Amino acid sequence: MHDRLFGKRNLKFGRTMRSVALTLALIGCDTERQWQLHDITGHLPDLRFSLMSDAGQPVTDQTYQGYLVMLFFGFTNCQAECPSTLFRLAKIVQGLGDSEKRTRILFVTLDPGRDSPQVLHRYISAFASGHAVGLTGNETGIENLTKRYRAAYRPRQTDTDELSHSAAVYVFDPQGHARFLVTPDDSIVTVVGDLRRLLDSSR
Amino acid sequence: MNPLQWLVPWESSFAVIIITVVTAILFIRGSLKCRLLFRQKLCFWIGLLSLYAVSHTQIDYYAEHAFFVHQLQSLVLHHLGPFLIVLSCPKEALLAGFPVAGKRLIRMVSGWKPGHYLVNVLLHPASAVILFVGLIAFWLLPSIHFIAMLDWRIYRLMNWSMVLNGLLFWGLVLNSHSKWSPGSRIGMMLAVIPPQILIGALIFFTPHELYPIYTLCGRAFTGMSSITDQQIGGLILWMNAAMMSVIGILILIHKELRAPKLV
Repeated sequence: MHDRLFGKRNLKFGRTMRSVALTLALIGCDTERQWQLHDITGHLPDLRFSLMSDAGQPVTDQTYQGYLVMLFFGFTNCQAECPSTLFRLAKIVQGLGDSEKRTRILFVTLDPGRDSPQVLHRYISAFASGHAVGLTGNETGIENLTKRYRAAYRPRQTDTDELSHSAAVYVFDPQGHARFLVTPDDSIVTVVGDLRRLLDSSR
Repeated sequence: MNPLQWLVPWESSFAVIIITVVTAILFIRGSLKCRLLFRQKLCFWIGLLSLYAVSHTQIDYYAEHAFFVHQLQSLVLHHLGPFLIVLSCPKEALLAGFPVAGKRLIRMVSGWKPGHYLVNVLLHPASAVILFVGLIAFWLLPSIHFIAMLDWRIYRLMNWSMVLNGLLFWGLVLNSHSKWSPGSRIGMMLAVIPPQILIGALIFFTPHELYPIYTLCGRAFTGMSSITDQQIGGLILWMNAAMMSVIGILILIHKELRAPKLV
């Protein structure tokens, strides 16, 4: 189960030291914070999944190797948060200018029963076609992904169930390492600034 | 959810399984050799099973996704579970449960000098009180809590440190063979109350969200606002602090009154 959860456990010494250093920096002072966003480098496992895209194709993390990935969880029936997050992410991608080609928004549905690839495709296209991909799969596949990133998910039992979902957008660098948590309070300018720097540094 | 599904570990940990099973086997073997009261066995099993239940079942999912459940989990890990295990005085039974090779290993470890110094420092009343309260405060610092709820390694370190520190503290104050007088042990239990009340009250009265990680990673209970969640969590710490110490003090007084007096 562990291997399934975290893939290959690459507890590299350097990474552990980096998380120790970060923790120490958090205890001491964070005046020298390099990034405006929540830096989570070394704290969450690398991007790894195997799901179905809104085009009906099986996709994995390898499909998005070399892209800056903004991953978030939601469902098309969501009233407020999901549309506004998608709208914000579309603006952020626009703000990246030329680098938008190296960026992908991955919207993972928490309601695979309702959100078929077709439904997802229609929904995603309304916001950011070209740069956004809707992902769906079976409940186990989605649960493994949410668990990997500590996002809340309980499969819908009845139609009237309210689904809870995470508010954060997880940012992965082109190498697939988890780098930032974007919160709904971060301004678009802030996010664009940090993502530009991240993309520049990983050229 | 089907009741049996609740027992499926949310995130399985071999360390939790192995330590729980080994402790249970040692206790069963030991209780066949030593005569234990029913009350002792009951305390031990409730203590051990409650520790297992909050760390290795679906309860862990809710503890990761609701601050007040996290506080209830900490209450069991740091207070209730260790308290009950210590109360059952399992030392003799556990030692008797060890096979011969294990006993030799224990003798070797307990003869290790640096270990003695460490134990002396850890079991000093002042350091035990500071460590007990400091650990609660440390893991509740917003920036530390943020990372602890995100990184599974730090999350486990947090839970293990809570259990070990709980066993250490309650073992020190409830042990009637301790070298510290009943008065100083009561003093220790009283000393941990005000800081915990203070931290609980600070959390309860903070008008903004102290622990946004629960919103960011998603809340288990959709109907509950982040501030309500935070307030209930604060109250749990606020109230249990006094509660556990008062129960501990009453038990200690009861034990001391019953103990034969030396003339």
